[in-house]
Amino acid sequence: MALSGMRGLSVFISDIRNCQNKEQERLRVDKELGNVRTRFKNEKGLTPYEKKKYVWKMLYIYMLGYDVDFGHMEAVSLISAPKYPEKQVGYIVTSSLLNENHDFLRLAINTVRNDIIGRNETFQCLALTMVGNIGGREFAESLAPDVQKLLISSSCRPLVRKKAALCLLRLYRKNPDVVNVDGWADRMAQLLDERDLGVLTSSMSLLVALVSNNHEAYWSCLPKCVKVLERLARNQDVPQEYTYYGIPSPWLQVKTMRALQYFPTIEDPNTRRSLFEVLQRILMGTDVVKNVNKNNASHAVLFEALALVMHLDAEKEMMSQCVALLGKFIAVREPNIRYLGLENMTRMLMVTDVQDIIKRHQAQIITSLKDPDISIRRRALDLLYGMCDVSNAKDIVEELLQYLSTAEFAMREELSLKAAILAEKFAPDLSWYVDVILQLIDKAGDFVSDDIWFRVVQFVTNNEDLQVINVFSIFAISFFFKSFMHWLSEFYAFPQPYAAVKAREYLDKPAIHETMVKVSAYILGEFGHLLGRRPGCSPKELFSIIHEKLPTVSISTIPILLSTYAKILMHTQPPDPELQSQIWAIFSKYESCIDVEIQQRAAEYIALSRKGAALMDILAEMPKFPERQSALIKKAEDTEIDTAEQSAIKLRAQQQTSNALVVTDQRPANGAPPGSQLSLIKIPSTETNMDQSSSHQGLSPANGTLSKVDAQSPSADFLGDLLGPLAIEGPPSSAAQPQQTIDPGLEGDPNAVDATAIVPVDEQPNAVQPVGNIAERFHALCLKDSGVLYEDPHIQIGIKAEWRLYHGRLVLFLGNKNTSPLVSVQAIILPPSHLKMELSLVPETIPPRAQVQCPLEVVNLRPSRDVAVLDFSYKFGNNMVNVKLRLPAVLNKFLHPITVSAEEFFPQWRSLSGPPLKLQEVVRGVKPLPLPEMANLFNSFRLSVCPGLDPNPNNLVASTTFYSESTQAMLCLTRIETDPADRTQMRMTVASGDPTLTFELKEFIKEQLVGIPINHPRAHTPPAPAQALAPAPAPAPPAPPVAQPSTPASSLTDPGAMLAGLL
Amino acid sequence: MPVAASAIYFLNLRGDVLINRLYRDDVGGNMVDAFRTHIMQTKELGTCPVRQIGGCSFFYMRISNVYIVIVVSSNANVACAFKFVVEAVALFKSYFGGAFDEDAIRNNFVLIYELLDEIMDFGYPQNLSPEILKLYITQEGVRSPFSSKPADKPVPNATLQVTGAVGWRREGLVYKKNEVFLDIVESVNLLMSSKGSVLRCDVTGKILMKCFLSGMPDLKLGLNDKIGLEKESQLKARPTKSGKTIELDDVTFHQCVNLTRFNSEKTVSFVPPDGEFELMKYRITEGVNLPFRVLPTIKELGRTRMEVNVKVKSVFGAKMFALGVVIKIPVPKQTAKTSFQVTSGRAKYNASIDCLVWKIRKFPGQTEPTMSAEVELISTMQEKKSWTRPPIQMEFQVPMFTASGLRVRFLKVWEKSGYNTVEWVRYITKAGSYEIRC
Repeated sequence: MALSGMRGLSVFISDIRNCQNKEQERLRVDKELGNVRTRFKNEKGLTPYEKKKYVWKMLYIYMLGYDVDFGHMEAVSLISAPKYPEKQVGYIVTSSLLNENHDFLRLAINTVRNDIIGRNETFQCLALTMVGNIGGREFAESLAPDVQKLLISSSCRPLVRKKAALCLLRLYRKNPDVVNVDGWADRMAQLLDERDLGVLTSSMSLLVALVSNNHEAYWSCLPKCVKVLERLARNQDVPQEYTYYGIPSPWLQVKTMRALQYFPTIEDPNTRRSLFEVLQRILMGTDVVKNVNKNNASHAVLFEALALVMHLDAEKEMMSQCVALLGKFIAVREPNIRYLGLENMTRMLMVTDVQDIIKRHQAQIITSLKDPDISIRRRALDLLYGMCDVSNAKDIVEELLQYLSTAEFAMREELSLKAAILAEKFAPDLSWYVDVILQLIDKAGDFVSDDIWFRVVQFVTNNEDLQVINVFSIFAISFFFKSFMHWLSEFYAFPQPYAAVKAREYLDKPAIHETMVKVSAYILGEFGHLLGRRPGCSPKELFSIIHEKLPTVSISTIPILLSTYAKILMHTQPPDPELQSQIWAIFSKYESCIDVEIQQRAAEYIALSRKGAALMDILAEMPKFPERQSALIKKAEDTEIDTAEQSAIKLRAQQQTSNALVVTDQRPANGAPPGSQLSLIKIPSTETNMDQSSSHQGLSPANGTLSKVDAQSPSADFLGDLLGPLAIEGPPSSAAQPQQTIDPGLEGDPNAVDATAIVPVDEQPNAVQPVGNIAERFHALCLKDSGVLYEDPHIQIGIKAEWRLYHGRLVLFLGNKNTSPLVSVQAIILPPSHLKMELSLVPETIPPRAQVQCPLEVVNLRPSRDVAVLDFSYKFGNNMVNVKLRLPAVLNKFLHPITVSAEEFFPQWRSLSGPPLKLQEVVRGVKPLPLPEMANLFNSFRLSVCPGLDPNPNNLVASTTFYSESTQAMLCLTRIETDPADRTQMRMTVASGDPTLTFELKEFIKEQLVGIPINHPRAHTPPAPAQALAPAPAPAPPAPPVAQPSTPASSLTDPGAMLAGLL
Repeated sequence: MPVAASAIYFLNLRGDVLINRLYRDDVGGNMVDAFRTHIMQTKELGTCPVRQIGGCSFFYMRISNVYIVIVVSSNANVACAFKFVVEAVALFKSYFGGAFDEDAIRNNFVLIYELLDEIMDFGYPQNLSPEILKLYITQEGVRSPFSSKPADKPVPNATLQVTGAVGWRREGLVYKKNEVFLDIVESVNLLMSSKGSVLRCDVTGKILMKCFLSGMPDLKLGLNDKIGLEKESQLKARPTKSGKTIELDDVTFHQCVNLTRFNSEKTVSFVPPDGEFELMKYRITEGVNLPFRVLPTIKELGRTRMEVNVKVKSVFGAKMFALGVVIKIPVPKQTAKTSFQVTSGRAKYNASIDCLVWKIRKFPGQTEPTMSAEVELISTMQEKKSWTRPPIQMEFQVPMFTASGLRVRFLKVWEKSGYNTVEWVRYITKAGSYEIRC
């Protein structure tokens, strides 16, 4: 080291080391910093030696953790020193003290460049190291070509080229847009021919980065990669220093295989064959040995090879070989290897159909469930969960249930969740499912999350099959016994009365889990009346069975029990005065309960139950639950820890889904994840309606029912609702629907109707006329944040909005004004491309005189004037009403008024000069407004008028900030010059930092100024989907001012546009 | 009387127990481990002096390199416990001759055990006064009564002493020359704004005495404070002398002062302990005479230069002088070079505290020396880091000057034998936190 001879530095370091405490050290450091500052400020300048010494001191102080915010100039200037020791300090200090955003680096670029293109290797290495360490944008811009040249130059030593490759990799990772890699494919291919393994390894890292970004251009590298693998694995053509425990450069092997995984397939049969040969060799040649390091290296190679095999969809033979290998690993004693074996097997399930082969190892996997290491047990659980299908579900679920009682508490919840999902997914018959769930609750009562029993309730409610209900109702009673199994056998073996007798005998059994009470109370309340004809199941008896449990349950269960009582009471026909008085007594007791929920329920039920027959409607059976992805599965997905660090595997998984789905992978607007294929349950009796594998085929009818007015078959309706969320996956042609509404002239086109099989809503004679002018309401809402959006004799839709930066939250209040419920309520949001909207689920039925709140999340992505449309429909009696309403999520909602002073305004105004950033237009036909009123108008658009900025009193200057995800906060400035003589015209100038924003804002203001008066109802209609309810078709809508960033078609391919929370 | 301690531990900074004493057996011997693991080895050390762990309360304080920990399991009087620790430390100091640290403890194990036995009984604090304890816990050997030579000093009757009315003074003291030394020590706290208006100003003073008096003298002290003067004028039915009277706040007396006499006659009368003690403490917030005025002008000339001009004016009598005056003028962290011009004293830049330090050894009254300095700054990466301008700090001592204006009017000594005494009175004013914003 060049430190010898720098006495001051070593004295300083020893001083620091001798310090007794932190405070002393700080004092010493501050003193030294003062000294260094004085030296640097010295007029006479420093000798190179001194400079070097003080810069080393600075670095030492910086490394101790103190703030060093001066002297960068000196450090940078050392870079250009001619001698190695000084240059070295310069480079080291610069790369550790400065980051890519420092201006000082600009000073260094030229020197660094000279070093890179110079002939001195040592200097080249120093420069490359620093560039790689800092990797800023400016470096990338000015140095990347030189580094690239260095990498492919033949005259450089491998050492330099190695560094150049890594430096380029870093620059590319930091600024992929700056480093020009067009046409690099050939060079990369050339580089892969390199003999020197060091250079090859570095280049391979670079290749991995390049290929991960765009594999198309690098097809030519593929055979070379295979060659490299061959060279390493087959020919073992490696210098001694690159073998690690006898393995030829494991790092290069792993990197090469990683690079290969970025290519979707290998088409060339020869390459493929030779690659498989190599992989075969790797798979066969690896064994578990004593040496840990060797094991690690060889397994790294092996598992990468496995990943590659999985990726390439190799022949079944090879796959089975892999599985066999993994099976061997699972049986090994070493826990790390066992873990890897299980994990890779799980991964294998994901990509290929080797389940049958894996099933052979089922016994071994189940043994792993008893492993002392929890991480292994978890992997085993994941694997079991993944490999489960109809054939082995019984065994696996049985095994999981058994394991449940011994598993540690941390895992029990996950375990019970998974068992419940598997039971639901693969249930061969209903009784088995019931049995499993029962055992589950019995064994892990506390760990059965609410979701599980919610799911049971949904399941029961949605299966209208009477038999199912009967079974479940009795099943509900049987919950009160210790074991359903027991009961089941008796139920089938003995006549029904006997079962009831048996039931009574078991009634005294204490200690049933509260979850059981909840499920059974709910089910008895809903369906208990169906049992009426059975002996021992009269309402009174049911009541007494349930009521017995009341004192033992917690607060959260009591409301459920109260509801059950209310329902039992309602179903008791003819009314039983004794039961009634009993139940009323309970209600009145709970009317003064401290818990609000219980109190309210009690009070309401007692009031309701006095209404007599009207009770029937109110306490009617619960409607069917909307079919959606099982909450359980969602939860399981959430809890699954995604340790899959391999981007390659993720990439592949994405590719596969996109092949499978017809349209796209964008998230739908109501939050339901795409592909609810798991939500449906295979049950013999209902299989006709719901078949999980048929979800894709079921698409086109689903699209049909989505907007068709369907008043006949409730079951079809049900199906439509069920499959509603899948509508996005329909063929794009169906997306033509809103397009028609855009242009009223097209609406009558029968071809369009036929083609899409959609009845345009406008052609339906809408019997219901809206109250008030919808356009007026919309305009009012553009200026304020809450109000009524739409009203007709049956429904009132109110809106309340909150806006924060580029996020918004609208709440739709759907109020039913009638005494009878509104059914088939649907709300679909058709968002323009610049808004991301997520509507929460809208219930299918709005109860009489009730109001439903539906929150709607809005994110503004880009500036645009397009308006989101709410397609809302409901059925009242036999009338289907459908309206399309513009939602007041307009441009000005994302503005935030800001007042700027003259000093701030004018530089901004001047710096934004000329189109497209500053646009000017003379607007004519403006509704004449006095100036103060116009200022008020601007303020209400959230454009803050800044008085006094313009010397001319007839002019207005306003400023605001616009927020969107792409632009973030963006200052917008506006100037309006009015003509006092002619108030109908004005000159408007708008400026902002974003051309689109400038244009959109200008158009927006223009529309508002021209269009405020109601006597021009059509003039200001935005070009986006228009009011379908407009009384008369307009002669000609105004020509769209420009090609909009989002054409209607594009917004329609947007799956979110088609999707809505149904029901 | 509340329980103050169940056990007391002395630990060094590593957490090793140097010495301990269990007073009650309601805490286990391993409780100190809880202190080590839950307090010493966490960041909480030094944040909160009272902690409860496992049903026991831990009171601890650090004195130099020793932690003194009191462990109590019952509902103890925390203030009493801490007072006990403070007094015990003062006692140890008087026994060890000044220092109280790990080494002092290691060198005096036996003595400490003896003292610990004496100063607390079953968790109740006992007499902690060094004067009394020194009577019967002695460091030298005591001659046996059966030895051949008669004792030249009678063994004092400790019991009588402890239970007597004047517990703090031994009888039978004889001095050849009867002297009393009285010091009034005041420290001035000041915070002044850059415009020269006083934001906060107070004086904390104490009266220290050193008595070398024979017998049982009765002393009476008269000050020029308001209450005393008014009472006197009432008694003597004559108007108060025109002149400044001083209002003392928060007066606390040594235990020897007769409070009933003070309440009725407003005079400070007492039988003093032998040797040195602190007679009273007080505080004054109004009518403070500031000894110094500081007039700073600091100009930032561009980003790399600063000009500092400081004028200090002494506003006490021209015949008096201040000693050890130090003025610390903060400068930015990136100060590189400084050059000074001073009319008296010496100035230099101290990088480790980021201040210009101007020292004047002897500072006569009614003078105004000035210092002007040019400071050059080095340019840094963070351009906009504005300098916060901390206040200028000042240290000084002014003998024979009281910032409060307090004066001793009389100090009378009565003794049965009626000997003559010599009284010495000194005044000194020091700087507390004397800060001037700039």
